Amino acid sequence: MSPKPHRLLLDRVSSYADEAGAYLRRRRMTRKPFARVSYPGGRSAAYDAETEAGRKLFLAASTLIDAAR
Amino acid sequence: MSRTKASSPAGNASARAADAELAVARMGEMSPDLRGCAVLDRSGKALAASGGTRAWEEAGGAFLDAADAADGTAASGVHVATEDGEAFAIRDGELAMVAVAERFTLASLMLFDMRTVLRDLASGNGIPDRRAPDRAETSAAPPAPEDPPLPPEAAS
Repeated sequence: MSPKPHRLLLDRVSSYADEAGAYLRRRRMTRKPFARVSYPGGRSAAYDAETEAGRKLFLAASTLIDAAR
Repeated sequence: MSRTKASSPAGNASARAADAELAVARMGEMSPDLRGCAVLDRSGKALAASGGTRAWEEAGGAFLDAADAADGTAASGVHVATEDGEAFAIRDGELAMVAVAERFTLASLMLFDMRTVLRDLASGNGIPDRRAPDRAETSAAPPAPEDPPLPPEAAS
């Protein structure tokens, strides 16, 4: 038995909405700024923008990005 | 005894600056997402840069200082991604390279290109041309050898 037309339409719309929501979630995640520093020996550390070291790194990076303009 | 230009300290400096210019140019060719880059020496002086060396000197030096200050030890590599772009820095011996790329660039490729170019520069042997041969060189290459003749049993 074929589904009723309005259910087909609802399914289609909610499917598009789900896709759009997932796209926005992915976009937000990938747009999240980060700072990572690696050290000799293979060690690396990530610094959050909330920390003092992270704040300085982001500030210095912004200045560097401005210098490239 | 004749003394070549490259063997004098001034000659070494000018040769290194010329190599650094070539390194910056090569980075631009290798990385399409690159906005600009600079090569800094141990004192923080810009040997070459995509734009004005003064701005790159100050900004690049501050970027490396911030990375060193984060943990109290000298950083070998830095990658900071912001909304406006991505900033990179690596060190090799006495040299450092700082670069700015578009947002969402492939960081591993960018760091690989930077390491390759900086390693060549630090070796002191110039910047080898690692680009693929262009069409003119390819067409000038000798033709491929012909297929060997088939054995008699296969030909029959």
